[in-house]
Amino acid sequence: MIGYILRRILQLLPVLLIASTGIWAMIYAVPGNPVATMVGENATPELVAEVTARLGLDKPVHEQYWSWLTHTLQGDFGFSIQNREPVLDLIVQRIPATIQLGLAATLVGLLLGVPVAVVSALKPGGWLDRVLSGWSALALGVPTFWLGILLILLFAVNLRWLPSASGYVSIFDSPWQALRNIVLPATTLGVYVSGIFARFLRASLLGELKADYVRTARSKGLPERDVIGRHVMRNALLPFVTIVGLMMATFIGGTVVTEAVFTYPGLGRLLIQAISTRDYPLIQGCILFILVVYVLINLAVDVLYAYIDPRIDYG
Amino acid sequence: MTPLLRRGADVCRRLTRHKGALLGLLFLLVLLLATSLARWILPFDPLTQDFTATLQGPSAVHWFGTDELGRDILARVVFGARTSLITAAGAVTIAAVVGVPIGLVAGFFGGWRDTVLMRLVDVLLSLPGILFAMALIAVLGRSQSAALVAVGITGIPSFARITRAQVLSLRKRDFVTAVEALGGSAVYNMFTTVLPNSWSPILVQVVILSSVAILIEASLAFLGVGIPPPTPSWGEMLRTGKSYLYDAPTYAILPGVVLTLTILSLDTIGRALASVLADRHESAAAGDPAAGSPA
Repeated sequence: MIGYILRRILQLLPVLLIASTGIWAMIYAVPGNPVATMVGENATPELVAEVTARLGLDKPVHEQYWSWLTHTLQGDFGFSIQNREPVLDLIVQRIPATIQLGLAATLVGLLLGVPVAVVSALKPGGWLDRVLSGWSALALGVPTFWLGILLILLFAVNLRWLPSASGYVSIFDSPWQALRNIVLPATTLGVYVSGIFARFLRASLLGELKADYVRTARSKGLPERDVIGRHVMRNALLPFVTIVGLMMATFIGGTVVTEAVFTYPGLGRLLIQAISTRDYPLIQGCILFILVVYVLINLAVDVLYAYIDPRIDYG
Repeated sequence: MTPLLRRGADVCRRLTRHKGALLGLLFLLVLLLATSLARWILPFDPLTQDFTATLQGPSAVHWFGTDELGRDILARVVFGARTSLITAAGAVTIAAVVGVPIGLVAGFFGGWRDTVLMRLVDVLLSLPGILFAMALIAVLGRSQSAALVAVGITGIPSFARITRAQVLSLRKRDFVTAVEALGGSAVYNMFTTVLPNSWSPILVQVVILSSVAILIEASLAFLGVGIPPPTPSWGEMLRTGKSYLYDAPTYAILPGVVLTLTILSLDTIGRALASVLADRHESAAAGDPAAGSPA
């Protein structure tokens, strides 16, 4: 088991190294002078020279790469051009908001997706199955930003029940305010993942229902409720755990669009702001951070899966 | 009729029997006709501004209403379809032209080539697609070609992986080893025996990825990093429409309806195509023992 984990980590190292080098090289691929693009057209030559020096862009390329790599490994992501704060501080400030939205959306996705999957898998091909499959297709096909707009129109503009822009209020500080702010973005994102959850769990349930042990359980006279609840669900939930984990990994950076709809102050919005102001150290920091977390969660999900399913071959 | 045409006609016939796929095909056909005939059938130009008629609701003159500059929203939706379809076509072409050969070489040769190529594909997968596209646009700047390339690159991994899986399942089949034994070169073997037998999953991927490409393009435009205005784009229209929810709610609703229907159509066609091709393989394999061999 430990050998398996170590091997998976070793496989990740080249991926992380290549990807991070790509992120470092971003700034050199910008057409024209990246510093001039960052500080704007009206900047004085002195300012351009100062920023160039501050970013270390006046040194030889190999020295720049080495200094960037060693600093980054120590958690020093440099300073934001726009507000001169350390990039890592700006990122860390946004993490609680993104995690709260991601967890709330996962919860909504499970509440909507799991019942849909179970009900449609019990009578595959029936009218209910067809209606619910249509729901999954719709949940996946409707762009999240448009669904968000529709929800704002209904609940904020017309009914005036909820705010149209969602701020971040920690659930621990003020549960009611936090709930009011998170309901619409979490539903928007949750409907989408419920489509993925439903499709995946339904397929997984149908696969298990064909297994020999189900026939055995039925033929020994076990009530259908126990066949499904005790045998089928347990086996079908195993691969399902990985899908839930992978969705949460994409939420680390993948809430960008939803955050933009609701002007929610998460990590994704920070990245969008960085791109629109061409704040390259901040862009690089955000993408690198999301990349590392995404890869690590993927690894954790793989390891967890190997751990809970004894049939997995570590070789 | 050549065998290829006959096979194509057979797949089309089976596809139109699928109700959802038929509706999807009809919708896309109407959309294609509308965009290609737009200059002649639409009374308004998508860029002409009219400040005496801004943010109007739907009316007999402006069926979808007007935007904040008094431009006709229907005209912009129809021309926005052109933007979406061109981006999707270009992006899927890039993804297939790069991804399919990667999967072909990786699966056919195996060994170090497989390791190196698939690790590179893993790098592309190390970020969610939309973020990868955003990072590329941050470098390239906003333009139609940047959006197209960015969306295209995010599609490379799926083509590479699907082709590789297909090649691996064919690699040890008799007709492939036979060509090898007869002295056919590896390149000849890849392109004349392996690739022609891998088309089905690749074709399904082309359709499904088109819907993903349209969604990513619209998302980028919605985030304000897609194709720059004034080129009409559905995502950009929804982005602006969102600022006028109180004055003109239909502005943010109608372009979204067309966008959603387009994505749903492509997705339904893709999934129907997958099941039709799978059925064909099964029935062909059952009825004719030689059906699995190359034509």
